[in-house]
Amino acid sequence: MANIELKNVTKSFGKKKALNDISLQVHDKEFFVLFGPAGAGKTTILKTIAGIELPEKGLVKFDGEIVNLVEPAQRNVSMVFENYALYPHISAYDNIASPMRSPLYKKDEDYIKERVMKVAALMKIDHLMDRLPARMSNGQRQRVALGRCLVREPKVFLMDEPLAHLDAKLRHFMRAELKEMQANFNTTTIYVTHDYMEALSLGDRIAVINNGQIEQLGTGDEMYYTPVNEFVARLFGEPEINIIDAEFVLDGGNKGVRLLNQIKSFDIPEDVYDALAATGKTQFHIGLRAIDLNFSFERQSEHDIHGQVYSIEPIGNKAVLNVDVNDTILRTVSPPDLNAEMDSDIFVSVNMKNAMFFDAENHELVVRHNQSQYTKAVK
Amino acid sequence: MAKLILKNVFKRYDDRKKKKGGKLADFAVNDLTITCSDGEFVGILGPSGCGKTTTLRMVAGLEEITAGEIYIDDTLINHLHPKDRGIGLAFEDYALYPPLTVYDNIAFNLRAKKMSEADIKKEVMRIAPLMKVEELLDMKPAALSGGQKQRVNITRALVRRPKLLLLDEPLSHLDGKMRQILRTELKRLHKEVGCTTIIVTHDQLEAMSLSDKICIMKDGLLQQFGTPYEVYDDPVNVFVAGFIGEPPMNLNKVTITEEDNILYFSFPESSVKIAVPSKYTKVLKTGRHVTLGIRPNDLLIAEDGSPVKIAVFENLGDEKRIGIRIGDEYLTLITSDETLYKQGDIIRIKVHEEKTHIFDIETGDKIRA
Repeated sequence: MANIELKNVTKSFGKKKALNDISLQVHDKEFFVLFGPAGAGKTTILKTIAGIELPEKGLVKFDGEIVNLVEPAQRNVSMVFENYALYPHISAYDNIASPMRSPLYKKDEDYIKERVMKVAALMKIDHLMDRLPARMSNGQRQRVALGRCLVREPKVFLMDEPLAHLDAKLRHFMRAELKEMQANFNTTTIYVTHDYMEALSLGDRIAVINNGQIEQLGTGDEMYYTPVNEFVARLFGEPEINIIDAEFVLDGGNKGVRLLNQIKSFDIPEDVYDALAATGKTQFHIGLRAIDLNFSFERQSEHDIHGQVYSIEPIGNKAVLNVDVNDTILRTVSPPDLNAEMDSDIFVSVNMKNAMFFDAENHELVVRHNQSQYTKAVK
Repeated sequence: MAKLILKNVFKRYDDRKKKKGGKLADFAVNDLTITCSDGEFVGILGPSGCGKTTTLRMVAGLEEITAGEIYIDDTLINHLHPKDRGIGLAFEDYALYPPLTVYDNIAFNLRAKKMSEADIKKEVMRIAPLMKVEELLDMKPAALSGGQKQRVNITRALVRRPKLLLLDEPLSHLDGKMRQILRTELKRLHKEVGCTTIIVTHDQLEAMSLSDKICIMKDGLLQQFGTPYEVYDDPVNVFVAGFIGEPPMNLNKVTITEEDNILYFSFPESSVKIAVPSKYTKVLKTGRHVTLGIRPNDLLIAEDGSPVKIAVFENLGDEKRIGIRIGDEYLTLITSDETLYKQGDIIRIKVHEEKTHIFDIETGDKIRA
């Protein structure tokens, strides 16, 4: 049980600034996700909390107390690593028991047995307790590594990409299991990942990290519906969100936006119109998720955007349909059994209610329809 | 451009023969017969050790064929020298010559054929724009990203105007976004060049998205050969059902029970039962154990369904995933419904009748109505 706080933490490796003025607060018993691309600084933040890395500037606090000078072992954190880091020469049981046999947290063997078997049951590895790591599958090793982390009752669990080495199918199941177990953790957890589905599924709150800085901090809904900038918008969702130029038009009765050199402009909701008008600018970027584009092989409305089928890529329950509109590719989704020739004519309609508008210069979110609905918890 | 035919092709590695006496199971490729039509994009898909790369290598002439026949168009190529097979090959690891520029790498095989420099230039410039490598021609491989290296690698294979383009896990080394981009471009390239193409991959998503037809292998044996939608929508056995699709199809052991003359799939150690679609009532008898296969999208929330408790609720933005535990069995349900559930909520579920698959519990084969 602990509140964890980082205050203005800065850290460099040589010339590279790994962490640049990071401030964040993780609440007691919260499941907090650090999410971002490779090299963003996520793991460095985790190691700074663990005490394995020392900040050059800034404070690390556990429950309000500064721990900058507290040794890692004394911080009472429990960590799980991406590469499992199991002891190869001892059994699963002994691996899981190992933290409780260390001099600092030494417990008697009866207590250890009770805890290990409880965690083993939770992780569904009771039957593997005598086995050496070499004789386990990757998924089983990951369960043992997670079990070793969960066996103690530390102030905070630190998890560094625990599912990254598993194949897509196993990851789906393990993620769901972690989510199912969450209620039983009852302990502050900080979880690093580069997989947006893990972030959305597991995180009570998410911090998006990029270049050693926090881009956005908030709930999954906030990230998905009101990303603060184009960078964050692109990180969530599959296929990637479409971000294209949009021209704000005011001429005559036309109050809307024009996309992709179409003659007809699109009507936009009033709150969006007001926010765009208030900026005094005319050039924006519009973000449209694939599911907010619909298509048809015959023109349905004068607003439809005429293009050609660039490719259809079935991926199971749906297909990614790429549409070429004058050399701009729009990504949309179709049923998996769609039958269409490449380069055939196609018409795309846009759900403007879900469109996000970004500033064309600094790429920050200007507005989306009903914005306040998605930002209950503020940064 | 060419048609490729494999007729009862076997491959056995000698050391295996010695060790195990050459039993049937020791064939790396076991009686494979497939036809790839002219201009088709065919994916050979399977887990590691299924024989997919061995198959490709036999076509390329890198492996001896133990038995059977391989034809390109109507020519038997079993004993044809690899260079005379008219094949372009691109491997996973690029294999570019580091001291040579991109241009020289691409031109390498044409020079080996003693083609004139003017003709070489013409050929390189024909393919380079298609693969978007024109701007890289003066660079050395070390300066290229993984995605660029693979583009160059594929350009080099295509520049020889092969009858058949063979790609061995070409996207495996690339990161997620680059893989998606190159996947789309490979698909476009195939449309532009029209060359019969075989891709070997262990990634079902890659095989599904690229191929006109997929050949799914396991332990050297062909499991199913069909369009991406066929293998997804109508898998012939439990292996294909579980291998194709992400998240995978729910495959659960159930027992057929009867109540008031209605047949149900009953989950063990629970009271949950789902009505058997009427078309199966003739082929299923009470008391039989079967594997029930339902895709996460074909499990539906419905007023008239069976009540179950939510074990996991995941809001993933574009979709919501619901995990359900019934006894020891676990099921995933995907919905785009906006409702936000939580762990412990009770929902009622039923199955999409037309999309219910049933497999024999012993053989794993599909039971058809």
